[in-house]
Amino acid sequence: MLANYGYIGLFLIAALLFTLLMVTIPIALRFLRIVPDKPNPIKNSIFECGMETIGKTWVRFNIHYYYYALIFLALDVLVVFLYPWAVNLRELGGSGFIIILVLMAIVLVGFSYAWKKRVLEWK
Amino acid sequence: MGSGYLTTILFLPAVGAALIAFALAGRPRLIKWTAAIFTAIPLILAIVLFVQFDRSPEAAGLIQFEEKVLWIAALNANYHLGVDGLSLPLTLLTAFLGFLAVLISWKIDLRVREYFAWLLLLETSILGVFLSLDLLLFFIMWEIEVIPMYFLINIWGSGRKEYSAIKYVVYTLFGSAFMLAGILSIYFTTGSLNMVEIAQGGLAMVQTALPAAAIFWLLLIGFAVKLPVFPLHTWLPDAHTDAPTAVSVMLAGVLIKMGGYGMLRLCVSLFPEVAKGYALLLVILAVVNVLYGAAVTMRQTDFKRLIAYSSISHMGYVLLGIFALGQLSMVGATLQMFSHGLVTGLLFAMVGLVMHNAHERDLRQLGGLARQIPIIAVVFSIAGLASLGLPTTSGFAAEFLVFVGSFSSTIVPGIQVYTILGVLGVVVTAGYILWMLQRAFYGPVLERYNGTPDADILERVYMFAFVAVIMLVGIYPAILTDVIKLGISPIVGLLGG
Amino acid sequence: MNLALFIPELALVATAVIVILLDLLTEQKRLLAQVSISGLVVAGGVTVAMWGHNFPTIFNNMLAVDNFALFFKMLFLGVAFLVILSSVDYVIKFARFQGEYYALVLLATLGMMLMAATTNLIAIYIAIELTSISLYALVGFLKDAKSTEASLKYLLLGAVASAVLLYGMALIFGFTGKTNLHDIAQSIQALSPPTLFASPALILGIVLLVAGFGFKIAAVPFQMWVPDVYEGAPTPITAYLSVASKAAGFAIILRVFFSAFGQPDWLSQNWGLIFAGLAVISMTLGNIMAIPQSNIKRLLGYSSIAQAGYLMVGLAALGVSPVGDILGQSGVLFFLASYVFTNMGAFIAVIAISGKLNSDLIDDYAGMGKRAPLLALALTLCLISLIGMPPAAGFMAKFYIFSAAVQHDLLWLVVIAVLNSVISAYYYLRVVKVMWLGQAASQEKVPSSAALRLALVLSCLGVLLLGIIPGYMMRLAELAARIFIP
Repeated sequence: MLANYGYIGLFLIAALLFTLLMVTIPIALRFLRIVPDKPNPIKNSIFECGMETIGKTWVRFNIHYYYYALIFLALDVLVVFLYPWAVNLRELGGSGFIIILVLMAIVLVGFSYAWKKRVLEWK
Repeated sequence: MGSGYLTTILFLPAVGAALIAFALAGRPRLIKWTAAIFTAIPLILAIVLFVQFDRSPEAAGLIQFEEKVLWIAALNANYHLGVDGLSLPLTLLTAFLGFLAVLISWKIDLRVREYFAWLLLLETSILGVFLSLDLLLFFIMWEIEVIPMYFLINIWGSGRKEYSAIKYVVYTLFGSAFMLAGILSIYFTTGSLNMVEIAQGGLAMVQTALPAAAIFWLLLIGFAVKLPVFPLHTWLPDAHTDAPTAVSVMLAGVLIKMGGYGMLRLCVSLFPEVAKGYALLLVILAVVNVLYGAAVTMRQTDFKRLIAYSSISHMGYVLLGIFALGQLSMVGATLQMFSHGLVTGLLFAMVGLVMHNAHERDLRQLGGLARQIPIIAVVFSIAGLASLGLPTTSGFAAEFLVFVGSFSSTIVPGIQVYTILGVLGVVVTAGYILWMLQRAFYGPVLERYNGTPDADILERVYMFAFVAVIMLVGIYPAILTDVIKLGISPIVGLLGG
Repeated sequence: MNLALFIPELALVATAVIVILLDLLTEQKRLLAQVSISGLVVAGGVTVAMWGHNFPTIFNNMLAVDNFALFFKMLFLGVAFLVILSSVDYVIKFARFQGEYYALVLLATLGMMLMAATTNLIAIYIAIELTSISLYALVGFLKDAKSTEASLKYLLLGAVASAVLLYGMALIFGFTGKTNLHDIAQSIQALSPPTLFASPALILGIVLLVAGFGFKIAAVPFQMWVPDVYEGAPTPITAYLSVASKAAGFAIILRVFFSAFGQPDWLSQNWGLIFAGLAVISMTLGNIMAIPQSNIKRLLGYSSIAQAGYLMVGLAALGVSPVGDILGQSGVLFFLASYVFTNMGAFIAVIAISGKLNSDLIDDYAGMGKRAPLLALALTLCLISLIGMPPAAGFMAKFYIFSAAVQHDLLWLVVIAVLNSVISAYYYLRVVKVMWLGQAASQEKVPSSAALRLALVLSCLGVLLLGIIPGYMMRLAELAARIFIP
């Protein structure tokens, strides 16, 4: 039992060593003057999909995005349950169908709640 | 008499309290009359009980008027009431003082409804302590008493009343905390909560979990706080001094007797061997109580505080009598509890009157009152003389029995020396009582007390009642000692002679 | 699988959904309270009817339907009933979201009912999260600065506690390879003592579980959230937190520690001693910190920490007692029942008084004896019960639980506990004193609504009944604790 934990420990140490190695390689190369040091503005600019960034990155998102995200999450969970049910449709039979209907009804209550509370309107 | 008799005595005051609290708002006269009726009936019933009590020698140690109903099955606890020679006098005393306390409070006009409700509830809880034979019930009654006292001192008291009230509560709860631990230990050693059964079975001797001595001390601390025993006494002067008159009467009269009663009923009865082992220590404490209490009393200048301190000294006699462990001394101790209840009750009532009528409680300011208020002065003098143990008063009979009993006791080595030391206390008592009487009532007449009203009819009635009983017990103590002996003799039997 | 055994929970879910829907359709917000209460009554009725039968577990051994679970379910339903009753007038304070309030209370109750019933580590975690998330939201319902701070604090610390709990569960799962409590017990008992001694993982797991559950029951040193959250939350929710959430924590501790770690004896004695230590510091710190408080809700918060300490005396007793002795368990159950009535009563009185005064300061309670005699009387009774003085329920509860401890040689713990009761008398009586002796700022009477009065009368009746004739409830507690006899 304890030996298994030992392997995990070994793995952890190996992972740490590997990470350190990856960080030290470029530094070492630089020290050994294998890499040339020739900075210029274009080289130092922020590289993002080949485009220059516009404005600051600290943008406030509209609160409505969160509402959408939450509603999406509920739908997501529903789908997670729907897939296995669909795969085993025949085996689960009528009772499974009813249960999935109840589940959908509960999620639908959530949606209608959101709708009624005007979450879906964009002002 | 059938069963239910003691229950009636026990719960009538509580019923009165409930009636007053919830049904009679805003009718002070009616409230007072209700309170009087609901305490008078228990008094009458208690007197009947006293008369009907079987005094034949065969009844020694028997519980009479027993009532037993299963209460909590899970804990094997019963609603178990009964009286024997030990609890009967104290029950009678409680009923008597309970009724008189209502009369003494007749002039209360602040928040009348609450006052009488608490006062009556207090009486029920004290009666419950004396009547219950089940440890759990006993403890519940013991604890309930704290709440009325807290309110009574806190609202209707005087001086540093808030401080005194919370001090009283904290001390009492501190003591009962240990007591609860002790009771639980007894319960698990014996599996029973029945006091009589445990005492008779000598079950407390077969200890496994905890040495018997530890339980003995746990219980004793609880009772010692209440009695009070030096050095756990400091709540007493504060509480007595700041409480309203009637509450001081109850407090000095019966509340602190719960401590002595508990010692006899639980500590000595359940742990006779342990009691023998520690008797010497406790006798020494008793003598310290007597002498220290008396010495401090000499120094007091506040009228009420003086009497409060004298209680400490007098309770020392009770402790001495109990732990001399002789038959006579324990009878004396019980009689002393009864007598002190009457005498100090009367003293507090009289002090209350003086304070109420003359508006002064500092002994240095008082003087020559015997001219202006002769009746109060006479009754006060009788009470004072009873307190110092003059023959023909109950104080004499009680103290005499305590001293003779202790002196002749064979259980504690060297008891004679301590008894003699204790007797010295009487001398000091005589000193401060006479000094107090002289200061307050005799000497040059002071102009400023002219027109001080003397006792009115109602006050004369309860004064007379007090004096009559004090004299009765003083002249014919056998009326009580016969009964008390019946309660003490089984304890003596447990002690082995 | 038998869904019929799940009816009380299903009834609560249905009620919660109906309440949310109804909230969208109606302007009559009182209707929501009525619907919630009827849902609780239905669930309660079914639960009572299920009492005493020997039902099998459901959902593949995930949930037990034994007397122990039913006892707690009744308790939680009762508390939720009182909370909703006392919220009817309080929720008017909230401009919006009344329906959500009731629905969340119902869902939190559901979570607690599951907590009492689960016999599986994963299900325990889910139940705890269901309860906690509902409560996080409820605590922030007032939406003022204090309430928001309380909610955030509760959320963050709660998340940490959940993480600790999960870590503990993971270690235990890693050690035994099982999540079901009985399977865990079997695999622990199958190991030889030296193996157990040599495995810090199990001990660490148990300690982490204690820490995680300790957060729920507000035991010192996991109590940091209590005063601020109690003060900031809406008062009915404070009551709910202090009573039901704590009771649920104890329910789960009783089940987990007894079912999974009840054997071998040396193991149970060790965690018994952990709880004894926690009991001592919880009682002492709770009581001492309560003394200088000037806000009644903070005071009751610290007092609830102390009460958790008394309850842990019972846990310590059952840790050190041999198998088959259920005095400790039934003592804890009885204490919880009496605590529920007592603390609910106290909080309901506080809701009524503070609602009128718009202040939670103890000094503002001055003269309540005149302005609202019945409220003051009820609060006095409940405070006396919290001290543990007769004739209130608190005394019997302490007597019962301490007797369990004395029986198993924990007299030292009992002495500390009763001395703590003495300390507690000081600050409880201070409130009493202010109410009956203080000079009132105004002579205006403090009215209370019928719903509040009903809730208050029910709680006080409970306090008195459990104090004077406790036999019946003790019998129930004993029957519920029977499941601990293997």
